[in-house]
Formats: sequence, C-alpha cells, structure tokens
Amino acid sequence: MEVVYITIGVSIIVAVFFFIVFLKSVKSGQYEDTYTPSVRMLFDDELVKDEKEGSKEPEKAKENQQTNNKN
Amino acid sequence: MSNCFHCGADCGKKPIKFDDKNFCCNGCKTVYEILNASELNCYYDLEATPGTIPSEIKGKYNYLDNDEIAEKLLEFNDGETSVVEFYIPSIHCSSCIWVLENLNKLNEGITTSLVNFPKKTVRVTFKNKLTSLKAIAELNTSIGYEPYISLEDADSKNNKVDKTLIYQLSIAAFSFGNIMLLSFPEYFQVDGFWLEKYKYLFRWLMFLMVVPVVFYSAKDYFISAVKGLRHKILNIDVPISLGISVLFIRSTVEILLDIGTGFFDSLAGLVFFLLLGKFFQQRTYNFLSFERDYKSYFPIAVTKIVNGEEKNIPVKDIEKGDRLLIRNEELIPVDGILINGNAALDYSFVTGESIPVSKNSGDKLFAGGKQTSGAIEMEVINTISQSYLTQLWSNDVFNNSEDITIKNLTDTISKYFTIAILLIAFVAGIAWYFINPSMAFNVVTAVLIIACPCALALSAPFAFGNILRIFGYKKFYLKNAETIENISKIDTIIFDKTGTITSNDKTQIHYKGVNLSSEELIAVKTILRSSNHPLSRSLYSYIVEKPFEEKPEEFKEILGKGVQAVINNSKLKLGSASFLNVESNSLNETAIHIQINNKYKGCYIFNNSYREGTKEVFNILAENYNLIILSGDNDGEKPYLEKLLPKKTQFQFNQKPEDKLTFIESRQKKGEHVLMIGDGLNDAGALAQSNVGIAISEDVNVFSPACDAILDAHEFEKLPVFFKLSKKTIRVIKASFVFSFLYNIIGMYFALTGQLTPVVAAILMPLSSISIVVFVTILTNWISKKL
Amino acid sequence: MEKEQFYYDNKIVKMFLWATILWGVVGMLVGLLVALLFVFPGLLEFAGADNAISWLSFGRLRPLHTNAVIFAFVGNGIFLGVYYSTQRLLKARMFNDVLSRIHFWGWQAIIVAAAITLPLGFTSSKEYAELEWPIDIAVVLIWVVFAINLIGTILKRRQRHIYVAIWFYIATIVTIAVLYIFNNLEMPITAFKSYSVYSGVQDALVQWWYGHNAVAFFLTTPILGLMYYFIPKVANRPVYSYRLSIIHFWTLIFLYIWAGPHHLLYTALPEWAQNLGTVFSVMLIFPSWGGMINGLLTLRGAWDKVRENPVLKFFVVAITGYGMATFEGPMLSFKNLNAIGHYTDWIVGHVHIGALAWNGFMIAGIVYWLSEKLWKTPLYSRKLANTHFWLGTLGILFYAIPLYVAGFTQAFLWKQFNPDGTLVYGNFLETVTQVIPMYAMRAIGGTLYLTGFILLAINVIKTAKAGSKVEDELAEAAPLKKISGQRVAGEGLHTWLERKTVLFTILTTVAILIGGLVEIVPLILVKSNIPTIESVKPYTPLELEGRDIYIREGCNNCHSQMIRPFRSEVERYGEYSKAGEFVYDFPFLWGSRRTGPDVHRVGGKYNDNWHFNHMLDPRSTSPGSIMPRYSWLIKNDLNASNVEDKMEGLVTLGVPYSAEDISGAKQALLAQAKEIENNLRQDPEFVKNYSSSNIQNKEIVALIAYLQRLGTDIKAGKTALK
Repeated sequence: MEVVYITIGVSIIVAVFFFIVFLKSVKSGQYEDTYTPSVRMLFDDELVKDEKEGSKEPEKAKENQQTNNKN
Repeated sequence: MSNCFHCGADCGKKPIKFDDKNFCCNGCKTVYEILNASELNCYYDLEATPGTIPSEIKGKYNYLDNDEIAEKLLEFNDGETSVVEFYIPSIHCSSCIWVLENLNKLNEGITTSLVNFPKKTVRVTFKNKLTSLKAIAELNTSIGYEPYISLEDADSKNNKVDKTLIYQLSIAAFSFGNIMLLSFPEYFQVDGFWLEKYKYLFRWLMFLMVVPVVFYSAKDYFISAVKGLRHKILNIDVPISLGISVLFIRSTVEILLDIGTGFFDSLAGLVFFLLLGKFFQQRTYNFLSFERDYKSYFPIAVTKIVNGEEKNIPVKDIEKGDRLLIRNEELIPVDGILINGNAALDYSFVTGESIPVSKNSGDKLFAGGKQTSGAIEMEVINTISQSYLTQLWSNDVFNNSEDITIKNLTDTISKYFTIAILLIAFVAGIAWYFINPSMAFNVVTAVLIIACPCALALSAPFAFGNILRIFGYKKFYLKNAETIENISKIDTIIFDKTGTITSNDKTQIHYKGVNLSSEELIAVKTILRSSNHPLSRSLYSYIVEKPFEEKPEEFKEILGKGVQAVINNSKLKLGSASFLNVESNSLNETAIHIQINNKYKGCYIFNNSYREGTKEVFNILAENYNLIILSGDNDGEKPYLEKLLPKKTQFQFNQKPEDKLTFIESRQKKGEHVLMIGDGLNDAGALAQSNVGIAISEDVNVFSPACDAILDAHEFEKLPVFFKLSKKTIRVIKASFVFSFLYNIIGMYFALTGQLTPVVAAILMPLSSISIVVFVTILTNWISKKL
Repeated sequence: MEKEQFYYDNKIVKMFLWATILWGVVGMLVGLLVALLFVFPGLLEFAGADNAISWLSFGRLRPLHTNAVIFAFVGNGIFLGVYYSTQRLLKARMFNDVLSRIHFWGWQAIIVAAAITLPLGFTSSKEYAELEWPIDIAVVLIWVVFAINLIGTILKRRQRHIYVAIWFYIATIVTIAVLYIFNNLEMPITAFKSYSVYSGVQDALVQWWYGHNAVAFFLTTPILGLMYYFIPKVANRPVYSYRLSIIHFWTLIFLYIWAGPHHLLYTALPEWAQNLGTVFSVMLIFPSWGGMINGLLTLRGAWDKVRENPVLKFFVVAITGYGMATFEGPMLSFKNLNAIGHYTDWIVGHVHIGALAWNGFMIAGIVYWLSEKLWKTPLYSRKLANTHFWLGTLGILFYAIPLYVAGFTQAFLWKQFNPDGTLVYGNFLETVTQVIPMYAMRAIGGTLYLTGFILLAINVIKTAKAGSKVEDELAEAAPLKKISGQRVAGEGLHTWLERKTVLFTILTTVAILIGGLVEIVPLILVKSNIPTIESVKPYTPLELEGRDIYIREGCNNCHSQMIRPFRSEVERYGEYSKAGEFVYDFPFLWGSRRTGPDVHRVGGKYNDNWHFNHMLDPRSTSPGSIMPRYSWLIKNDLNASNVEDKMEGLVTLGVPYSAEDISGAKQALLAQAKEIENNLRQDPEFVKNYSSSNIQNKEIVALIAYLQRLGTDIKAGKTALK
C-alpha cells in the first residue's frame, strides 16, 4: 500500500502549497477589505467609454465599441 | 415637490433646474456637472440619489501645500509618485465606490484610487508632477466626498492590522487537519501490518507539524500564564498552558520511546479551538473608533497671519500671541480672543449642544468650537497643550494602560479550578505510585491533559462573540467582550443631558397659530438677528425669508424672557409665554411666542427634544440601578426633568468636564460600579473614568469620544434590554461552565483509572469543545430573540 | 498619463463558446445514444446481428460520452467563462494570445483525438482518465499552457485585489495538474497501449483519489468560480457575503483533497483510509452548502429579476442542483448508505444531477448572457431560452427520478433473500429487466434535455447572426477599454518584490512537486507488500491478451470485479475479493457500476462454449439481456505481436515473469488457444457452424481464457492447501 503515501504525500504537498499561498495572500492584504471587491467586480463594464464619441448615454458605454486606439 | 437628483433631499419650492433634472442646491448641481463632464454619470445609474451636498472648500486645504504636513500624511512618496489614504465618512453606497475609484478621470495626475468600504477610506496614488495632495483633497470635497484629515492621522500613520491571530489560527487549523489525517491509521487499524513499518514516519510528521502549533500558535497562552503568575494570579491560561505543555511533552516522550502514538491531534485541535474562540470574540468595527481623543477632532494645520500674509503652520507650532485665521466650518484649535469678524461657534463636539453660540470682538474663544459664520481672526492666548479642552487629557485616566489585574469571570473560576486539578493530579500520582508505580506518570499527565480547560475557556469567548455580533446588528457597538462583563456588574448609571437624553436635531420647529404674512416673517427674522439666545439663533436660521437691512428700533432683550422691538412701525414681542402673558400649553414645551402690535399671533414650538422613550428607559432602569443626570448645563430644566423621570433620579448641573470626572471617581470610591452615557468631548474624561463608558451618537460614522461602546442614538430605547441581555449572557456562561465541568468529570474518570488513550482524548476534546460552542451559541441566540 | 489602453480578447471567448455548444450537442447526443442502448440493445446493429460494429458498442461509447461531456463540454464551458471573467476581473488582456490559441486548438485537438481513439478501443480503462498516454501528455502540456496563460495574466493584472473567482481558477489549475499526472503514470508498451504503473488496490486508490478530486476540482471549483463571477454580474448585485465566499474557498480546498477514498468503501482498501474518506466527506457539506447559500442569497430581493431573466433561472436551478448533489455526496459517504447505493443507478442519478443541473445549467446561463455581451445585441429569442429552461428542468427530473427509483430497486432486489437463505433474484438478469422501464424514462429525460440544448444552439447562432457582423477579426476581438491605470505603477520596488514572491511561490511548488516525484516514483516501482497470496500467479500470455481485449471493449463499464463482504454478494458471486488477488492487475478493473453482474469469480462458472455463444449473442444464453453483441471478436484475428513487450513492461512494474516465460510467450499463447479451441469443438453445434474457421487465432479465445481465469487463483490455493 505504498500508494497511500503517494496520495497522502501529494495531498499534503498540494495542501502545503495552498497554505503558503493563503499566508501570502493574507499578508499582502488580500482579505483586509471583505466588502469592496464584491461591489467593484460589478463595475468594469460601465467603466468603459467610447472616447471619440464622448457618448453621454450609459447604455452606449459598453466595452466592445470600436474606437481609436493608441497602439 | 421634487427631490434632488444628486442627494435626494427635498428641493423645496424652487428647485434648481439643470439638464432636465432638479437639484436642491448649487453644490449638488456642480457635482452633477463635474461628473457629467467627465462621463462619470453612471454614478447615478448604480444607486438612486447617491450624492451628498459638497461643503465649502475655499482655502480649506491650503495647509496641505505645507511640505512638512504633506509628508506626515503621505503613506509613500518616492519623489515621483505618492500614495495617500483619506478617511471619508460620507462613503455610503456602491456609487461612492464607483466614483471614488474613477478619480483618475477627474484629475489626470491620479493613477489609481482604491476604496475600502468597511473602513470608509480611499487610497489615492498620484503623480507629484501633475497634481498635489491639496488638489486631490479639494477634488474629493468638490464632489461631496470631503476627506477627514485630523491631527491623529499625522501622528499615527501606517497602523497596520495585526494579523498574528489569523496566522496562528490558520497554522493551527492546517496542522490540526493534517495531524488528524495522519493519526487516523493508528486509531482505525491498529494491527495493519504495513502500518508497523510506516507509523514512525507518520508520528514524526505529526511531531513536525505540531511544533509550530505549540511554539507559535499557542505562545500567547504561555506568555499570559507567566504574566499572570508574576502578578500572583492563576488565570485561565495557567491550566491551559499546563495542559498544552503536558500534552506536548508526553506525546513527544511517547513517540521517542515508541510507547504510543501520542496526543498530537488532541493538542493541535485544542489550540485550534481555543484560537477559534479568540478569533470569534475579536470583533472589529473598522468604521468606528473607540479610542478617539481630541486629536481626531483637531485639524492638523491652521492659517497664521504674519504681517498680513497667510501662512499654513502645523497646529503644534502655534504659539501664544499668534494671530490665526479661522475660516467657515473650521475648528478653533486653541483658546484665544476674537479679534475680527462675527463668530458663531458650534460647540457640539465639546458639549453636544449644536446651537451656535455668538461671540463678539474681544470675547474669549475656547478650543473645540466650530466657526459657522464666515472667517474670523483670533489671537492665541494658550498653546494647544494648555488649552482648556486639551488639558483634560493630561488626566491620568487617559494614560491608564490595560490593567492586567482586572479579574474576569473565567479567571475567577480558574483559580479554584487550577488548584483543584493540581491537587487531584498530586493525589492521583501518589495513589498510583503505591498501586502501580509504572502508571503514576501516565495518570498524572492524563489528569493534566484532560483537565486542560478547553471547554471552559471557550464558553465565554463564543458567548461574548455571539452577543457582540447581535449587539452590533442592533447598532450597539462594543469595543470588546469585557465590556459585556462590566455592564453586567453595573449598579449606577450616569447620563449626560444635552445630546444624550436630548437629541441634537435642531430642525424640529413648527409653528402653531395664525399664519404670518411674509412681511411679518421678515420682521420677526430681523429682530431675531440681534438676539444671541440659542433659541433665537435656531429660529433665525429656520425662517427662510431675507431680513431687512435696517436695524430694529427700541430693541430690548430681557434675559430669560424674550425680546421686543419696533420695526416698520410694528411693535413685536417675542419670547416665553410668561413674557407675553399667555397660557403655556405644557411644561414640557419650549416655545417662542409671537405678538405683533399687541395681537397674539401664535408660537414656534421647539419640539421637546428629549429622546423618544426617555421616560420608559428611566423607569425600567430605576428598578435596578441608581440613576444620575450629570449635566454641564444650568438647572433650568430641572423641574421638568423631575417630573418626567423617576423619583429616585439624582441631578447634578453645572458640571465642567473635570467635575464630571471627579464625580464619577467619588462614586467609585464608594464602591459603586458606574456606567456613564455621554456624547460630547466634555464627557470624554467621565467616560474614561467610569467602569463602562458608552458614547451615544446620532450618526455612528461621525465622531464620538473615547469609550467602551458606541450606541446609535436611535436605539436609545433599547438600552435596558441591552443591559439585561448582558446580565443574561453571564448567566449563560455560568451554565456552560457547569456543562464543561461535567465533561471534565467524565474525562477525569478515564484519566484517574489510567485509561486515557489517544482515541479517547481525540473524541472527548473536540466533542466537549464543539458541544459547548453549540450550547452557548444557541442559548445566546435564544435569549436575544426579542431584541 | 500612466493609463494604459488595451483590448479584451473576446475572440477567444467566442471560440470557446462555439466549442462548448458543439461539444455539448455531441456529448449529449452520445449520452442519449448510450441511454437508448439500455432500452434497445440492438439499436446500432445496422449491418445485421452478426456484423455488430465494434466502435458503436456501449463499452466504447460510454467513455466517449463521459469524456465528451466532462472535458469537451464542461471543459470548454469553463474556459469560456474563465477567459471572459479573468480578463475583466484582472483588468488585463490574457497574458499571451498565442498561448490562448494554442490552448484552444490544442484542447479541441485532444477532444478530436479522444473522439477517435476511444471508439477504436484505445483506452487505459480508468474512469475519466481513459485516454492513452500520448494524449495524456498532450493534455498535460495544454494544461500547462493554460496555467501559464492564467498565471501570466494574474501577474500582469491591473487590479490589485484578486477576486475570489480567480482563486477558484487557480486551485483548479494547480490541483488538476497534480492529480492528472499522478493518476496517469503509465508504462507505455506501444503508441496506443500502456499499463498503469500501479496495480490492484493501489491503482484503485489512486484512481478514485483522482476521480473524486476531478469531480471536485474540474466540475466543482471552476464552476463555483464562475458562479461567483456571473451570478453577481447578471443580477447586478454584490455577492451575498464576500467574506463567506473566501471562507468557502479555503475550507473547500483544504477538505476536498482528503475525501477521495469514499469511492472505495467496503473494498480491499485499508479500513482507516475508508473511514478517513467518510469523515472528510461528511465535513465537506459545510463549505459546500455555505457556497450554495451564498449563491442563492445573492439573489435575495431580486426574485423579480429571476422571474423575467432566463439566465438567472438557469442559475437558480443550477445552484439548487449543486446543493442537492453536495448533500447526497456526504450521505453516500456513510458506509451504510454506500452499501446500498454503490454499484447501482443511484450513483448515475447523483452524478447527473451534478452534470445536468449544476454544470449544464450554469454553462447554459453563462452562454446566453455572454452571447448578448459578445455580439452586443439582445438575445434572439427570450421565449426560446425560457423553453430551453423548462425542457431542461423537466429533462433533469425525468432523468434523475427514474434513476433514483432504479437504484433503490436494484439495491433492494440484489439483497433480497428467501427464508431458506437463497437469493430471491438469483439470476442477476431478473434485476436488470425490472428497471428497464426506468431506463426508458431516463432516455426521455435525456431527449428533453438535449432538445433544450439544441434550442440554445439555434438561439445563440441566430443571436450571433443578428449581432455585430464585423468580420475583421482584429477589430472584433479587440474591444478598446479605457482603464483606471496601473494599480502597481505607484509602487515600484514594492510591486516588483511582490511579483517576485508570487513567482517564488510558483517555483518553489514546482520544485517541491519535482522533488516529490523523484522520491515517490521509485517507491511505486518497489514490489508491493500487499499481503501476497501464494497461489495468485501472473496472467498467462493469452490471458494477458484477453485482459487487454476486456479493457479495449470497456467491459468494466458494466461489470465490476470486486465482491464486497456482504452475505448477498458472497451468496451471489462467491467469496469476497481480497487485496492480494489483484497484485498483477495493471490497471485494476474493479468497475464502479453493475449493469451486469460482477465477474470477479466468473472463472470456471460456465464452460468455454457458453462464453463463446454469450459473446456472439448475449440473448441466446441469457434471454432479455441488454448486453451488446461482440461478433467481431470471433471474426478478428488476435494480434499478439506485442505480447513479449507487454510482459517485459510488466516485469519492470514488478510482475515476476521469468526470461523463459517471455521468450516462450508466443508458444505458450498458441498452446493455450489450441486447448480452448478443443474445448469449444466439443460442442456439436459449434462444430457445425465453425468447422473450417481457425478459431484459435481469434480474439474471442483470448477473452475466454481471461474470463475463465478470473478469480480462480484463490480457489487453486484452497485446493492446494487441502
């Protein structure tokens, strides 16, 4: 049943990996604010603006409009 | 009737029309224009009427151009890029997040802005070349998000959240899970033949994982135990540390000598549950601060006039004899004398009374007042540390650090508990030494392991944690769990009057009587302009008509009665009922009666500003507590209060802040446990001195003095319920103590008979912990059902 | 200043969207086909009863169905959602367009390869990991491409905070990579044949450790990530509790990894491992339901939106399905319930609640919503989408309920005893015929569900046609987005350090994994110290070839080889299976479902002629049987040219073939085949029909040899002891 050590070993390695990631993320302040991100993720569509037309209607402010580009 | 498109306020009769939308004021319209021009009008799609009315900004943030001040506020500055975090109390909805995170569209010097909603802050990263701290502060203010910059910010920046407990808890959780996994084989398949070969590996892996749990996750228990012992106190951490050490040592010995698998899973589980309790109890209300002192009220800079030129200097550099310019809405930081201009000072920070006090040239101004009528000039007579208000903070009560000797319920019990288990262990050890010497070590360690009061230590944190959570939902925010315990011990409750049992709303004025013509209203207002009585001031601002330019003739003000004058040949008499010789409606009512040309017209009633339910609250509390009103005001309202409140209520008027403090001190010396409820800075000393200080606040987002708890003013009526619940919580905890003792007795049976195997411990420990947690959680929820 | 303009890559999202729809239809169609085979076993015998088409038999189509649905349909659906949401959550275009394209085309190529090789019988036989080793390598490579692309995007992100959805994606990528590699460690023999490096119990444990975690990290975590992105987006309200979602994520990650062994309760797996699996599986209900509640409560106060928006309706049913499946999972992990449910159609029903409701409906909702977003036009027909919703929901009910009934019926019939101690349904076939009406209803459910999905395809095609018709790929694929600038710009050194730590973490993990591999692989190759049974011997060359045919035909899809220690099973099949009996089984063939009876002790139970006739026409020996005909086994010559290579490969894996065994393999093979032919010729009927055929060269002989060997070693041991 050496294979038990593989499954346990790999599980623990994966777990340790996630644990390190967890500590890192806590340290980097990922979870200091547990409300704003949930609101922020709702925004990105509205953020986009058609630069040339300078449209005032929010409906037009969809992301996929073809516009000038600096590239 | 229309509502402002921007802030939702009632626009009144003449809304400002712009872009087919109604606005209540030019401020709101301007914000709309700014956002519209930058294509940020999505702001209004996310929430209806999300805005706030912007306040005046002229020159307000000039001091941010002072490098010394700016440097203190910036979190980061490498010469090119800077980062600043502003506290913005008006953040309240998702539109706020949206617009504040799009500041870069309003000012191209801003790279990013990041909102932290719970903390109500925005972090702005900007390019020094393109913009400045001042410009950003002004930008925010111009769109209704005025940053709050105070002396405190400059003194204590970068106070990072302490994450130690999170690390300790997650390490314990991680190790607990993995150790459980590794210890299972030996529980479930003791004679597995391959297990014989590999169990050593498992055991040492467990050992490896438990080391950080003992030496990092659990270290605070050891530290606290040692501290307690130094003070000759057997606190709960003593038996816990003893249990953890014994578990660790015995388990290590077992695997070293190949006696058995040890108790590593129980050990990790124990620490995990203990820390979980600690974590649960640790409630943080990011948007509140319980530690505010005058620094958080005070600006960090003022405008000094040197040879006719304005110059921004940090507040701490103010010297006697300096001439300061105080703009509208600015706070007076030091005591001084008014030189120029009309001062109307709002001392609500200090006294709770928000009706402005008028001052004339040559009058003395005290620190803490907010100027409300244009710019004034003043001369400094006291530096900041010597000013009347700040001197209060030199009192010792503000410098008392947490006293270790405070005994809480758990520690009281643990004293006897610890002595008892040590005795049991000792006796059992001796007994077994005679019965079977080889078992003595086992039994003694088993007793210490099983007696490790995990369940005992858990019940209070979970009960308190849960109650804190419930109170928080009901807008009674407690600084920490000890406050609940302290509330339960209270026998005397002291109330501040103004702002505490009266509400600060000044707009509750209504008119009763014959309708006044516009002409008459103008006349009334013109007369009121000359009166400095607080009621006059409020009525003056209540009447919207524009007063006459000319001064009234024959103006006469009779102190405590009213005013009379002639204007445009009409003779007006304004004042109290007795002044006009009319019947007063009730004792309770404060009113300005109006008589024009000897004809009684009617009266403006200033609605009884005592909080709703004051009477009921006092009546209920009177059953169990001594009640005292401790007010800085004169005793003018005493007769009314005596009628309103229960007989045994005592009154103390004309109390200066330091008087309040000493008064509480004297009561405490008599052995009373005092709870003080107040609101203004003048109560700060009293709140700090009392056993429990509760600050009451109309809007918890604005400021309240240092205290143990903050109560939303609208929940004032529930005060007796909160107190009652705190007492009940203590009872729940006591009941759970009994419960956990039962577990200890069961465990003791296994320990004393030498049958405590790792499996038994592994079952008993989590079982007791979890059932205690469930028990207290259900009970606390149940008792607070009616809240 | 400092602000960057960039394009979101919508082209790749569209590509994955079309792939999702295409493979959805294909996968479900194959599913429907195999469902119909339960009711009409002869459905696909186009060329006549005696000319059955090998690649259309159930055993080969079933893996095609599962792989197509899991990896092609759900897989593409995941990538579709991940590529769309990741870019927006991180405010960055995907790390590298070439990698995106490689990922897309590579994944489709793998699917095509699977769709070709699986019906051809190239299979490793491990469920949801059937693909042979060259395709496995391709899977890992493409997965690494995906990983680099996603992690690269995370590193170049313009949003400091990593939203919880991205965390779920990261967990998916890391864990699936590790699991897939460890479960598919194989010893290649030829280009399309390999043996698992593990044998018997060990192989079973690794397989189900993988199998369970594949469900967890392929069908659950990425979809949860999508849930946390798309539900708030569609409902336009923040998730009920972001804090809960974080707790949900971390507890789920730490618990799931440990729950694998619950698939092997009552087997030869060490008991502690079984109990461990139960404990952690039961604990899983907390994070799972936490997530479900969080998803549903996000819609609190928005039920009016749900009523009118078909997308939200799909989501609501999907989350409900998730809740049901994650409630059932822990329940089925209890040993006493597992004893009833295992091997029955209950499990099939349970799995399909997850697949049809949770995965299928989440993806359908996402596809509808995105087709509006991607083509910038309203959906072609909301009504049609609503019809799809109702057809699909009805389909799920018609699918799941009959199978639950079937499952309980089976469990009940299998375990029923007469007072005299004999089985009431001694003939397994009687328990099959009883539930065939349920299978018919299940097929109806499947039809409804598929019809709904075809409506989706039509709806989306029409929407795409009506929408933005710009054919210029660059323009269409590259919408301009003005962004809020680089979050990191102000931080200089700090950011660099932070990035470095991320990289550092990744590199460390890679290092750990490689180190682990180096240490672990030799461990596997060491001879297993399972309690060996003296009489258990390696398979003979012919049996080995027969076993490979058994694998090729996917017999393990319907027949288990694991008799659990219950009275009913021992009575029906013989002595319960011992771990030591499987030491030479590379891979294990325990199976997970008993559509037909267990065959572990079938050796010697029937004579060779019975097997011959049974393969030719199952209904001739067992009237009413729904087993396919295997007439090609009698026509095809056995290709034993690799038998030495196979044996040598097995020697490397620890099977004790001697050098003489290998050199004499062909001869031994011929001799045993001859013997079987002789046995067959004892039947006059056989002689009459096959007098001239050289049966000993045919595949059927090898299969008979293997079947007759099954489970007999232990009996030999017993007689030897006596």
